[in-house]
Amino acid sequence: MPTLTIDNQKITVPEGKTVLEAAEELGIQVPHFCYHKELGAVGACRMCAVTVQEGSSKGLKMSCLIPAEDGMVVTTDDEQSTTFRDRVGEWLMLNHPHDCPVCDEGGECQLQEMTIASGHGVRRYAGQKRTYNNQDLGPFVAQEMNRCIQCYRCVRTYQDYCGGRDFGVMGSRNRVFFGRFQDGTLESDFSGNIVDVCPTGVLTDKTYRFKSRYWDLQEAPSVCPHCSLGCATIPGGRFHELQRVRSGENQLVNGFFICDRGRFGSGYVNHPERPRQARNNEQLIGMDEALRQLDVEARGLIEQHGPEAVLLLGSERTSLEANWLLQQWAKKLGCREPVLAAHGPRHQAAQVVAFDLSDRLASLEQVRGSDLVLVAGADPLAEAPMLAVALRQVVRSGGQVIVYDPRPVELPCEFDHQALSPLALLDFLTAGGSDGQHVRELLQHAESPILVGGADLLGVEGLQRLKKMSLELSNDQRPCLIYPLLSNPNSFGAALLSLPEQDDLLTRLETGRVKMLVCLESDPLLEAPESDRFSVALTKLDKLVVLDYLPTPLSVHANLFIPTRTPVESDGTFINNEGRLRSYAGVLEPGLPISVAEDGGHPPREFSTVSPGSDPLSASRILQILLKDDSSLVELHQQMVADFPRLAGLTGLTPSDAGVRVADAAARNVVNIDLPEQPVGTLQLIVSPARYGSDLLSRYSDKLEPRFSSAWVMMNSQDAAERGLQEGDKVILDTETGSFCLPMICHPQLAAGCALVENSAALASLVPGAGISYCEVSREVSHE
Amino acid sequence: MHIWRDLRGTVQPFWITLRNMLRKPVTVQYPEQKQQLSPRYRARLILSRDPDGNERCVACHLCSAACPVDCISMQAVEAEDGRRYAAWFRINFTRCIFCGLCTEACPTLAIQVTGDFELAGRDPLKLVYEKEDLLVDHCGHNSEYNFYRQAGIGVAAPRGTNSTESEPVDVKDLLP
Repeated sequence: MPTLTIDNQKITVPEGKTVLEAAEELGIQVPHFCYHKELGAVGACRMCAVTVQEGSSKGLKMSCLIPAEDGMVVTTDDEQSTTFRDRVGEWLMLNHPHDCPVCDEGGECQLQEMTIASGHGVRRYAGQKRTYNNQDLGPFVAQEMNRCIQCYRCVRTYQDYCGGRDFGVMGSRNRVFFGRFQDGTLESDFSGNIVDVCPTGVLTDKTYRFKSRYWDLQEAPSVCPHCSLGCATIPGGRFHELQRVRSGENQLVNGFFICDRGRFGSGYVNHPERPRQARNNEQLIGMDEALRQLDVEARGLIEQHGPEAVLLLGSERTSLEANWLLQQWAKKLGCREPVLAAHGPRHQAAQVVAFDLSDRLASLEQVRGSDLVLVAGADPLAEAPMLAVALRQVVRSGGQVIVYDPRPVELPCEFDHQALSPLALLDFLTAGGSDGQHVRELLQHAESPILVGGADLLGVEGLQRLKKMSLELSNDQRPCLIYPLLSNPNSFGAALLSLPEQDDLLTRLETGRVKMLVCLESDPLLEAPESDRFSVALTKLDKLVVLDYLPTPLSVHANLFIPTRTPVESDGTFINNEGRLRSYAGVLEPGLPISVAEDGGHPPREFSTVSPGSDPLSASRILQILLKDDSSLVELHQQMVADFPRLAGLTGLTPSDAGVRVADAAARNVVNIDLPEQPVGTLQLIVSPARYGSDLLSRYSDKLEPRFSSAWVMMNSQDAAERGLQEGDKVILDTETGSFCLPMICHPQLAAGCALVENSAALASLVPGAGISYCEVSREVSHE
Repeated sequence: MHIWRDLRGTVQPFWITLRNMLRKPVTVQYPEQKQQLSPRYRARLILSRDPDGNERCVACHLCSAACPVDCISMQAVEAEDGRRYAAWFRINFTRCIFCGLCTEACPTLAIQVTGDFELAGRDPLKLVYEKEDLLVDHCGHNSEYNFYRQAGIGVAAPRGTNSTESEPVDVKDLLP
């Protein structure tokens, strides 16, 4: 641990830290551009010059490149280095177009800050400025190359860190250009990160173009609600409109970056059809009245028909607090315990993760640091995009990634892929075949092996086998940890709170004893399999109550509708896939955004103390009102910890924290569903989430529309040939859920004997994670 | 002796009144008669146009950031030619303290002060000025400056044709 002196202050830093990092720890800001905590230094901008007075090499040095040495004496404010930095600031500004007023980066521009910090103020150079032509980089990123200072951060992020291939650096001498070979949409699913890292306004967020200045935005640390990873985000809003999301920093989870789904999938908050008023059938009512009616009717029905009469349905996308309060409300009402997730099989798989696997869970940081990762039954880019980036870091640091999945999985790195059908995958996990033995041997010899398992495809059975495998592969020196992928931001939380051996939603509804169903931020029509059965079961109800912030189909059917707040409008906690409590803070008060409201976005000229659309209350607040409970969030957390000691980490947890792991728990023997026998001549049906538009939040986000895919069915080329089908043919897909007429595409990398479809808005009735089922694909008979 | 002081205090005001009765009055018969104001007088704000007749305001939010009483709000949008302008621009003159900080912050010389101080009325809402009330048809104090001819992003003139710029580079060129 070297101890060095910077500007007469002594500091001891760990071995390998650079002088720049040491200075930052002391609170001394050395101006810099190309150095980034995650990307490291390349010494391209020459901005961070300091003078080494004592050390192995003395003189003017780039502080981002020289490691701290013991006994080193460094000055940052001496004549030589300040003059040098002043000159560098000046020549970095030589070609700058001086257009800060019309630049979106203005106010949060590192070039503005560093130019001031370096001391450069007045332009002396009278020569011509270099100019570039810009490229159209698609719907997410806007480019203005004249502002570029050639720090290479974008390329290092896009290519090196995130593994994109279609954006790079080209040109020679002072013509160096950062872009694609030709105009076109950036293909990477992590393209938005170049907006965050760009220190000037070259790359800006096109969806946020000219919307606000940084200083006008309301921002708060939050958690991404688009998948189960719980990446740190910082949403920003103004005029009741959520205008952008940028990545937060959480070294244990996402590091510095987030995926495009999380960044551009925020449109659901401002959705023009978002219901913002309580409703009794067709009639709009006030919130107080709606809550009173809900309370009176629920109690009335229970008195009349017994505890079965009211069924409360929680959700995997609502906060931990709301799910817990729902349980308390059920106790108070005297009805049976709530079902906390509409999707039965997914909920069961999440329980395996929350209980059986709880002592073997890895963090995403551990995945990044692993040397061998086995991905079983997971498509990271679709289910948890930031995992794909983490896997790239494994490969970049010399590790290996092996994928066993029926789908033609794509990853932004080199990996070995074996296409196994879901049934064969289960056999593989119990060391079936020489292949299984070989992978086990590799894992046995790895230093920090990690097993990634997708709960949707593996199911209860697969996850339990994965656990067995992880136990076998662990030894005294090191454990073999598991990194499971769940479906929703709070799947883990809902599973943790759930009681063992519950009947699922449909079984309870179909008894006919349920008179009133209360859906809390959940729409079984879209989020659960067998939506037909559910529709029929709905007709047996006397009363359907929906509390939600999305304009879901179920909210249209609701007899009583109560609007709730989105995660960006409320405080709460999610538990991510590795059992980490991550709390988020509200950014905005709910209200009709000016841009959605009247008059083409012009603010009204009438003034009132109530803004339109400000009725929604957070789900937990609504339940607190129903419970007549006035406790604050901190008090609520104390009660929750008393009820569930596993949640001890909740005390003192703040949104800017990296999050605390829940305590381990004993295994819960989740009932395993027997695998159905495969009928001869059928294919195994795989329903995979689409990369964009499978989770409900991104489905209701207009910004992501350019990325939405159409519906298709994919078959292995051989299977298609056997049935006499060709790519592009219209085929009939016969499943247990129903028949679908879809175009067929062939892929040689899809496991044989399988048919793959993607769940998205275009094919909403097939929901992932419903367990193994079989289907038949045949040519469409044309009626002419 | 207090008596002298009291006597002086009684007579002196009458003397001052008498003396001023014979002087020429300094008050003006406003509103019939108008005072000549300094050209730098700070009163009602306007949004001026550039010499080409386009709106100068690019809705950069610097005036609203500089405003100590938060009386300016706006929303920027992009025109088809890439020009950034204000979709709406609102100054609440019931709040404005006419400090002129907005004009000092304005990088495009769009927002300027005028000598029109007659901003009184019975309805406060009439003092909330919208863009159409603020936008004038002249250049204001400066008849030359055009921001887009100085900023090199190719809006007023094609890219690389402003006087201080060279032609856009060919990035695929490998010549030294």
